[in-house]
Amino acid sequence: MVRADGLRRVVVTGMGVTTPIGLDVEEFWASLKAGRCGVGRIENFPLEDLYIHIAGEIRGFDPSVHVKSKQIQYGERYSWFAGRAADEAWTMSGLPRPYANPYRSCCIIGSGAGGYSTVESAYRSLFIENKRATHPLTLLRIIGSSASAHVGIEYGIKGPTFGTCSACSTATHAIGVTLDYIRNGIVDVGVAGASEAVLTYGSMRTWQAMRVLSPEGCYPFSKKRNGTVLAEGAGILVLEELEHARRRGAPILAEVLGFGMSSDSKDMVNPDIDGPRMAMQFALDNASIDPSEVDYLNAHGTATKLNDVNETNAIKMVFGDYAKKLAISSTKSMHGHLLGAGGGVEAVACIKAINEGFVPPTIGLEEPDPDCDLDYVPNVGREKKVRYAMSNSFAFGGLNAVLVFGPAPA
Amino acid sequence: MDEVANKIIEILKKHMKEPRDDIDMSTPLTDLKIESLDLAMIVFDIEDSFQIEIPYNANEEVEDFKTVGSVVDRVKSLIAGGPAAAGAAKA
Repeated sequence: MVRADGLRRVVVTGMGVTTPIGLDVEEFWASLKAGRCGVGRIENFPLEDLYIHIAGEIRGFDPSVHVKSKQIQYGERYSWFAGRAADEAWTMSGLPRPYANPYRSCCIIGSGAGGYSTVESAYRSLFIENKRATHPLTLLRIIGSSASAHVGIEYGIKGPTFGTCSACSTATHAIGVTLDYIRNGIVDVGVAGASEAVLTYGSMRTWQAMRVLSPEGCYPFSKKRNGTVLAEGAGILVLEELEHARRRGAPILAEVLGFGMSSDSKDMVNPDIDGPRMAMQFALDNASIDPSEVDYLNAHGTATKLNDVNETNAIKMVFGDYAKKLAISSTKSMHGHLLGAGGGVEAVACIKAINEGFVPPTIGLEEPDPDCDLDYVPNVGREKKVRYAMSNSFAFGGLNAVLVFGPAPA
Repeated sequence: MDEVANKIIEILKKHMKEPRDDIDMSTPLTDLKIESLDLAMIVFDIEDSFQIEIPYNANEEVEDFKTVGSVVDRVKSLIAGGPAAAGAAKA
């Protein structure tokens, strides 16, 4: 069964998350429904002289408990998160281990920064503690492709395997590229998403220096918003060609209908309206749906001064009068900004919204910014039939990527 | 203008795409065509030059960053207060 454009149809047959508000999809979704916030005072490392004291940390993550693979247990924190989320997604899909047709599968798991905590601890031991050598696995832990390689090994994936890297759009690009590989017949099955683990003292200092973090909380679209809040985790999907999934009686969670990409080609931090607008429009065109058919939009919604107004204006340009009726939320208000992994967990939020007929809220939105005047589903989620859902990812450098999901084909 | 003001104007000019020579204490920063990342770099240079810490958030409109004079005043108060005052300002 192919699309009108002759391309093969692609569905989601598994998904997994590792987040500050849930170590699996069930717990993550329950938190989103309840409006539970995972942002809190940093406990995983000493604050020293930091003046930003909050983040969306994953607490009590024990690789010997939460990661099944011995090899991944020896990996970086970001690979642990990817390994855990991928295991959930692959198990849900019911695909065999190893995959029977290895060159017909791909594993594209990105990371905005790779093994940041390993860089920091290695340099600390070299430059401060004057250690004789770094740990032998230091290099393998640092490289931004280690999560994709590790996960690929787990499932015997021998087709295209690499990491994407586009800051906050990393996971969305990974899912989009995988979508295209399956649509075009290069592979039949793909593991796609991203992982991020940059909550370290040194990383926090680099973000502090950019002056974009909030000392209080992540309040997208709110009048009181004063910056974003960093978080960590992973979001991973198993994508599959529709007939391939049907033949093996796989659970079909949703269809990946559209993908759009653009670059502002303008500024490293100040977003442009045309880039996000075009990425959303391309995704809608690619999905062959009308803007008015989108029932839920999971916004990029970082809670920075610039993003939220720019995104609101771009949505108005794409959706016209319907923008006022569209249910929009930024789930970053609950799980924080997972950077490269954000688009992965937000894709899962979109798919759950379709499956459960429920739109998660934007919490901390008591008083909206007057320039953000759309329906951001403030504070309390709502029951709503969701047929089509859109997920926005807009990254530093003006790198935009947008996905559109739809229901499992009848 | 005193040494602190001269140094701050020098830093501002370094980060301006089109540096100009008519900057005085009353010049609003918005007139200097400085964008958010430029301001973060300016604050970094000022902190480095005067060995102080300035609590600045690009997401907030702050009185201290309205005019060149208000930046100079803030820096002077941080220098006078020493590290302790700068530390208190962070909280």
